[in-house]
Amino acid sequence: MFTTGTKLLIGSAALAWIGAAVYGVAQEGALGTIGLVSAAVALSLLAGINTFVRDSNVSATDTESFETSAAAQATARNSLWPLLSALGITMMALGMATLPAIFILGIVVTAAGLLEWLVQGWSERASAERAYNDEAREVLADPLELPVAGAIVFAVIVYSFSRVMLGMSTKEATVVVFSVLAAVVLAIGTMIALKRNISTPVITGVFSIGIVAVIAGGAIAGLNGEREVHEHETTADLAEENECGPEETHADDKASQTVAAKSNPAATLIFDGAALEIDQAGDDGNSETLTLPRSNPSNIMFLNESDGEARLVLELHPPVDESGVPISIERICTTLVEEGGRQFMTAEFDRPSFALEDEGVAYEFVVAGTDASVEVVVP
Amino acid sequence: MTESSPLRSRLRTAALVGVGAVVLASCAQDAPQDTWDPAGSEAQRIHDLQWPIFMIAGIVGLIVMAVVAICVVKFKDRGQPIPEQSHGKAWLEYMFIALPAVLLAGIAVPTVATIIELNDTDDADCVINVTGQQWWWEYDYPIAGDGSICGYMPTGETGTIVTSGQMVIPTDAKVVIRGTSRDVIHSFWVPRLNGKRDMVPGGVHTWNFNANEPGIYAGQCAEFCGLSHANMRMEIVALDAADFQSWIDNQLEPYQPPEEGTLAAEGEAEFVAQCARCHQVDGLTDADGNLVVAHPEDQVYSGAAPNLTNLMTRNTFAGATWDLLVEDCRDEVWDAPADEFGPLYLEGVTDECLNETQLKQWLRNAPAMKPMYTDAELLEPTDGLVRGMPYLALSEDQIDKLVAYLLERK
Amino acid sequence: MALIERPRTGDLTPAVATPEATYGAFRRPVESTGWKSWLFTIDHKKIGIMYGVTAMFFFLVGGLEALLIRAQLAGPNGTILSADKYNQMFTMHATTMVFLFVMPMAAAFGNYFVPLQIGARDVAFPRINAFSFWCFLAGAIFINTSWLLGGAADGGWFMYAPNSSVPFSPTNGIDFWGLGLQITGIASLTGAINLIVTVINMRAPGMTFMKMPIFTWMIFVVQFLLVFAIPVITVALFLLMFQRSFDATFFSVEAGADPLLWQHLFWIFGHPEVYILVLPSFGIVSEVLPVFSKKPLFGYPLVVFSGAAIGFVGWGVWAHHMFASGLGPISVAVFSVATMAIAIPTGVKIVNWVMTMWGGKLRYTVAMLFAIGLIVQFTIGGLSGVTHAVAPSDTQQTDTYYIVAHFHYVLFGGAILGIFAGLYYWWPKMFGRMLSEKIGMWNFWLMIIGLNMAFGPMHIIGLQGQPRRMYVWTEARAGEGFFNLGFWNLISSIGAFVLGFGVLLFFYNAWRTHFGKHKAPPAPLDPWDARSLEWLTTSPPKEVNFDRTPVVSHLDEFFHRKYEDRGEGDRHDFVQVATAEELLAIEEANADADIHLPSPSFWPILLAFSLPIMAYGVIYNIIMIAVGAGIALLAMYGWALEPATAPASDYDPPEDGGTDLELATNG
Repeated sequence: MFTTGTKLLIGSAALAWIGAAVYGVAQEGALGTIGLVSAAVALSLLAGINTFVRDSNVSATDTESFETSAAAQATARNSLWPLLSALGITMMALGMATLPAIFILGIVVTAAGLLEWLVQGWSERASAERAYNDEAREVLADPLELPVAGAIVFAVIVYSFSRVMLGMSTKEATVVVFSVLAAVVLAIGTMIALKRNISTPVITGVFSIGIVAVIAGGAIAGLNGEREVHEHETTADLAEENECGPEETHADDKASQTVAAKSNPAATLIFDGAALEIDQAGDDGNSETLTLPRSNPSNIMFLNESDGEARLVLELHPPVDESGVPISIERICTTLVEEGGRQFMTAEFDRPSFALEDEGVAYEFVVAGTDASVEVVVP
Repeated sequence: MTESSPLRSRLRTAALVGVGAVVLASCAQDAPQDTWDPAGSEAQRIHDLQWPIFMIAGIVGLIVMAVVAICVVKFKDRGQPIPEQSHGKAWLEYMFIALPAVLLAGIAVPTVATIIELNDTDDADCVINVTGQQWWWEYDYPIAGDGSICGYMPTGETGTIVTSGQMVIPTDAKVVIRGTSRDVIHSFWVPRLNGKRDMVPGGVHTWNFNANEPGIYAGQCAEFCGLSHANMRMEIVALDAADFQSWIDNQLEPYQPPEEGTLAAEGEAEFVAQCARCHQVDGLTDADGNLVVAHPEDQVYSGAAPNLTNLMTRNTFAGATWDLLVEDCRDEVWDAPADEFGPLYLEGVTDECLNETQLKQWLRNAPAMKPMYTDAELLEPTDGLVRGMPYLALSEDQIDKLVAYLLERK
Repeated sequence: MALIERPRTGDLTPAVATPEATYGAFRRPVESTGWKSWLFTIDHKKIGIMYGVTAMFFFLVGGLEALLIRAQLAGPNGTILSADKYNQMFTMHATTMVFLFVMPMAAAFGNYFVPLQIGARDVAFPRINAFSFWCFLAGAIFINTSWLLGGAADGGWFMYAPNSSVPFSPTNGIDFWGLGLQITGIASLTGAINLIVTVINMRAPGMTFMKMPIFTWMIFVVQFLLVFAIPVITVALFLLMFQRSFDATFFSVEAGADPLLWQHLFWIFGHPEVYILVLPSFGIVSEVLPVFSKKPLFGYPLVVFSGAAIGFVGWGVWAHHMFASGLGPISVAVFSVATMAIAIPTGVKIVNWVMTMWGGKLRYTVAMLFAIGLIVQFTIGGLSGVTHAVAPSDTQQTDTYYIVAHFHYVLFGGAILGIFAGLYYWWPKMFGRMLSEKIGMWNFWLMIIGLNMAFGPMHIIGLQGQPRRMYVWTEARAGEGFFNLGFWNLISSIGAFVLGFGVLLFFYNAWRTHFGKHKAPPAPLDPWDARSLEWLTTSPPKEVNFDRTPVVSHLDEFFHRKYEDRGEGDRHDFVQVATAEELLAIEEANADADIHLPSPSFWPILLAFSLPIMAYGVIYNIIMIAVGAGIALLAMYGWALEPATAPASDYDPPEDGGTDLELATNG
């Protein structure tokens, strides 16, 4: 099963390994060992490839085969790969001068081009039969090419699409563009489904135009830049900076509507402009304090029914260390909630209320800038 | 091949087991968690709905079995000619679709009505917060705007009541619980008063209770909640108005330190040193006169430990799994007639009734009695925090002192 | 696959030289006997048998787990298992029975009989078929190695969050469980796609959908359920894996998550799963009842459509597992009514089975007894199901033994009795010998008695308030009198052991049929006077299944070839005109020439076993993931390189002739 060439290469590889080992032990020289190991690796690789392709050759004694063999008659066919490899090398050079990303892309393109070159080169000499050679190439390369190419095309489409979406400056434009797009897709799909004998080139053409259009749209939108997005401040950010006052912040004014998806809050606190009202299951509005369990996150919903923006703040009164600095966060708050808006707050209490009583304070929900407040009892 | 008689007997067995279970279970009044023995309006609603449905199901089952039995007997191969190779008659098939559809539509209407009724939390007379934790339940009683608790005005000063194991409610009152959990999902279930409601961390779920008569109603955590799921029980104790009033007043009585020089007084010092890290006793002060505040969140993964202020007014411990009363005393309370139950329960745990054996066993080595995650090797994912009560290596002497101290907590 | 590996056209053998193997250094495995013929087989019949054997093995494992549970609960305060071991035991009992026994058992019958029933020579993608089996086996072994590596999963098969998070279950058990189910999920998914393509594309000429045998129909419906359900559990398990292994916070309440997300994901998978388990057995019973009643299935189209309806409506009822979770009254009401609606198609099936028997000519073979047993036992399970479709009533019953009773009547009384009916019915077809009917009777009656003794009392125990998943029960909550928990728990445990003994009899029966001095003689060709195509070939079937591709003109084709209607007009008078032997002789005389089956391959098994290596890597060492992925890549590459049919030169001695007639099999 081992051909002559394989035997030679295996022998050389073995020799190189032995050499490397002997040199490495005897001389302890790094450079020589690296050289020999590299040679051994390269030879092993070659031996492997050669075993696989069986010298790309046939027995020299087989005269009939010799005449019809690949070496005797195969002519090289057109190839895209030299071009691609050259492109890759150019990109590497360009990348060195400009952006590292281009350089890395260049490496990938060069490697892909060379690999394809290798496969094509091998396959063209696999036998004298062209059909068989094509088949051999496909069988070897398709399992890599198709998924990779598919993934690239898919990624490019998705990326272009996302650029288009991010480029839309208004909600209305988004609705219009995507309604039209969806209608077009549906129409084309229906057309293809109805006209069953539609020819492949037509379908290919339609799809190609579609893909090109998406990519072009993506490129244009990408160059135009993304629409402006309000910075979304979180409750934690505000609390961290102790910015729980009544003043305006850059918080996204829609945030309070979009986060209100959680069901079963511990209580809803309703602010009517003057006072906070407690709304809790089983409670007909006769509570003045809110009782929440200790050491457990409780979700509180804040509903702003006043005429202006408002913010709910929870004063936590954490214990202080020797130098009088609070050991944990002092207060948490919601972002500014617009009229009729609502937002959640998650609170956890580490100490029972009676432990705070000594210090003359209490857990308290307040609406920043107003007198509205509700005391929290933690049993 | 087979005679028809074994098949008939099999059908009889099936009928006995299936329908018998269904029909006869309704008459039984024995197990404390019997789901067919409602003792409150919510459970009664469920029972009124399920009883006819069980009957219908039983009858339909009997009909099917009877028809199968007839087929088996009547159409046995006795050498008759090959039957007609027909796929059946359309009208017959439609009838067989329509019949169950009508039956089920009939069931659906009262079902939906009952679902809505059971979830109605309006007009509550009493609200109690329930918090589940591996593997016990905590109950706290919110104070209303006028200072009342659970619809009752305390005689003295009002304050927070936190208990565990037994939830005490007034009879003939609509009690709404607001439940949540500190760790995993638990399910609150006291079958004779209502069905189950899961208590899910992060959310608050409500559920209603109403007991017709004073008594103890047994329950059990019904959602698998880890290692000691089997040892997570609860009991609802219903007291009539006067008894409930005295229960509240008793719970709110200020802390009474043990008399100087008694074993219990030594026990107090032991308690402060050993137990007060996790277990709160309201009003307890240390040797310097400072209020002792427990910090279970530093020791226990789920963040809390039972409040022991009035331990001996309840008669269970460790997730209501063990009794604080010896068997005779326990039976006396459980079996007491409705009108005698209240005073008996309010006596709490007396010297002669204390189940000292198991309480001491618990203090000696809690994880050996109730499986819990207190093994240091397994605590790495929780940063060393225990789940449950750890082994404290207490000496017999310490245990005696602690028991003496605890016995006065009522 | 089809994209990458398009069917070859023409003769592609190179003109020069004859390499020993076309594209690789290895020769294809081509053995048709010996252990290699099993390891590398892509024959749907061998794969079916391997599925069956593995599933039956795990039936024993799951049964053992069940017996340990029942032994623990036989008396109060049981001490046979610790709380920890008990939790692992009930988790693994359910996991084993659902994922490693009933599902693969359906795959076993589906694999073996669907191609035979539709007159095909194999499934559409034979290598994927082999891959599915090995994936299932790899996943099954992987899950069960957790017993030896620090303990099995302990969160219940429903694995509710957040109890499944690391702080609450610090061992690796749940990691094994989740990753193992991912692997068996791959098996189910690939298997499902395979059977769907097979049924759609490879039916014999003339077999329209409404002439397709009912078993194939039910398997077909189940495969669609699998295709849509498995991705849901896959997503859930991925979330779980990230939660546990990579510190994600999908179910962490403190990070704002809602633990009910898991319940929704799990039950959107979990409820269709119930139908995945039970519909194949409905199919089996719908085959067995007509054969032993000598009548066609009553309302065949209605049974088909009710099966499909169950498949559809089954997606809209998942939240009835969550009636107690606090979904809010509107959701509960909607799901409660939807759940009642699904009782209708299920009821239709029962009615049609009974009506099939009505007016028939009933022969009480063991297979028939199991089928009748299914009707009765499943009816009990179905009706107790109606009692907790009523949501308020369910809040009392859910998570108690009443539910345990319910689903054991449904799954043991439904799925498993159906499987046993299938085993007794098809055994002579699969193995050429008949199981003993005498031992079969003992087998049946012991199982029925055991079943009712074990699960019947659970109705009582549950209604008396004993919750599930408790490692002990105590006297304090047991009560006294007729319905006391002590007595009925004991009865239930005794019943479980009777049931266990009944099941063991089956294994004895199987052993006795093939080995020992009571070995059964070869079975007659058509022992039951059957009705469908699988009986139109030898027992066991030839490797090519049929000598020539059958042409179908009737539902119950085989019956109509044997019997002829001599009646006039509305009068029917069926007369036997041919025996099975005569029909087979005709087929053999007109056999197709040059049938070339797809060849065995070692890539599927290699690819399948690279998956647990990766899974171990997730738990123990990230480098193992790379090793596993390397093997997987190698296997995929090898698979892609390999033609569907080995060249003649791979055979030893080389077969003559070339690739004359290839099957349309690409996978």
